[in-house]
Amino acid sequence: MYKIMIIEDDPVIREELSVLLRGSGYSVNIPMNFSNIINDIKNCNPHLILLDINLPVQDGFKICSNIRTFSNVPIIFVTSRDTDMDELNSIMLGGDDFITKPYNTSILLARIASLLKRAYASGQVDLMTYHEITLHLESSKVEYQNNFAELTKNELKILVFLFKNAGKIVPRADLVEYLWDNQLYIDDNALSVNITRLRDKLRQIGVADLIQTKHRQGYMI
Amino acid sequence: MSCRDYLKDQIPCIITHILSMVGFTVFMSAVNIDKDIICILLISWALIVIFYIGICYCFRYRYFKQILLQLDSLDKKYLIAEVMDMPTREDDKIYYNILRTSNKSMIEEVSRSKRERGEYKEYIEQWIHDVKTPIAAMQLVCENNKSDTTRKVMAELEKISHFVDQALYYARSENVEKDYLIKEVVLSDMVHAAIGENKQLLLQNHISVRVENCEYTVYTDEKWIGFILNQLIVNGVKYRSDHPLLIFESCSEQSKVKLLIRDNGIGISASDLPRIFDKGFTGKNGRTGRNSTGIGLYLCKRLCDKLGIGISAHSKQGQGTTIELSFPKGDFVKVWG
Repeated sequence: MYKIMIIEDDPVIREELSVLLRGSGYSVNIPMNFSNIINDIKNCNPHLILLDINLPVQDGFKICSNIRTFSNVPIIFVTSRDTDMDELNSIMLGGDDFITKPYNTSILLARIASLLKRAYASGQVDLMTYHEITLHLESSKVEYQNNFAELTKNELKILVFLFKNAGKIVPRADLVEYLWDNQLYIDDNALSVNITRLRDKLRQIGVADLIQTKHRQGYMI
Repeated sequence: MSCRDYLKDQIPCIITHILSMVGFTVFMSAVNIDKDIICILLISWALIVIFYIGICYCFRYRYFKQILLQLDSLDKKYLIAEVMDMPTREDDKIYYNILRTSNKSMIEEVSRSKRERGEYKEYIEQWIHDVKTPIAAMQLVCENNKSDTTRKVMAELEKISHFVDQALYYARSENVEKDYLIKEVVLSDMVHAAIGENKQLLLQNHISVRVENCEYTVYTDEKWIGFILNQLIVNGVKYRSDHPLLIFESCSEQSKVKLLIRDNGIGISASDLPRIFDKGFTGKNGRTGRNSTGIGLYLCKRLCDKLGIGISAHSKQGQGTTIELSFPKGDFVKVWG
């Protein structure tokens, strides 16, 4: 499990960010004391650091250049300062990414994931499996007992989200939001159409009743 | 100073001479001096006076002309007393000192208001950065506790952060040149980011969004364009009609790349259209209770002008509006390395 350190002085943001990150499957470390942050980082040895710029004791730029003297850990600046000077500074001092508040959480998570992937490339295969049904993300196909069906972008993403939340009820609104986060702008009606088509395709390869409709709640697999 | 004006000023002097001449003639006649001699004396007297006034006029004319020239070449006219030569005439010196004193206090006043304005602007920027932290916190709280209620709150939060951005960019729009970073950006990346920032607003209002053919690369500042796109999306939502639709598409022409933002909203009447980029202009749509401020498009136009991007609007009332952004194709030579 990847360990992420949040260096941020606003308690609510700290708290909520850690909830969000834990919910996305990361372990989180939050230093409360900013006076010897460098030691904390050395002790904790995180995989990635989220760093604010305006901090008590030492600002984020100083901390960043300090970290770079002993480690190459990926650093994302998360800040409300948004002038281009700040952005330039953060890049010059060795920051890997720069996100301004208020941020879109899906973008934040996506950037974290892509940085982690780049830094600690584990030979991850783009496959997802659930009850012998396999999703091939690269080729956008679903497989069941050697039967394949081609999926459109929308259908693939719908299945990915359902697979990720297997066993839970997925509200339609969450599903639509997930699709929007993946730049597929479909509305509620289009979602129904896509689900119907997806069920047809699954039936053709021998998977019946995978996606259940929970009345007034959403879908579930 | 024209000759006539100068003569007007010299009237008391001329009258004095004429009166003296009359007195002189009376006196000379009384002591039986020959009329011819009186005539010659009067004529030479008059000639001397005219000559004197003429010379004086020439000097004054040259003196003022020089000052006016100096004034003309000055960028900030109120600095004239600082660059003017010290006059030699005593009455000029008095005026000169008055001018200097008044200008000095004026310059102080100007720099004081400039300083105050700068401080206020700094405060506004600081305030905006401070207020973004609680907005981000609220957004995270909503994100972690998703329900229909928090979705509504998030849509409102998107609006708040949009207004906050508007204030920030208004404060900054004076000196865009101090804060920009030209990068190579793909149009679709900017469009998707802007849609993402307004996700809840678009979803709550059931707006269909389509992004078509936006894979062109342009050279511009991502942040400023992001703000402009946000503004255009918010407008699209605000002035929507039934079955609202928002389409982003782009095309490449010889010297520019065009990005079109098209909606099928209520449109803009032909009489309002030429003025929509004016500051404070709200038009017919604004008067029908849609909370128009007349700031948004004005800011867009201003930022576009500073970034060298063309912005124009086409609209038919009742059918929708198309805003066109045209990015110039740079003459940059790409260096592979």
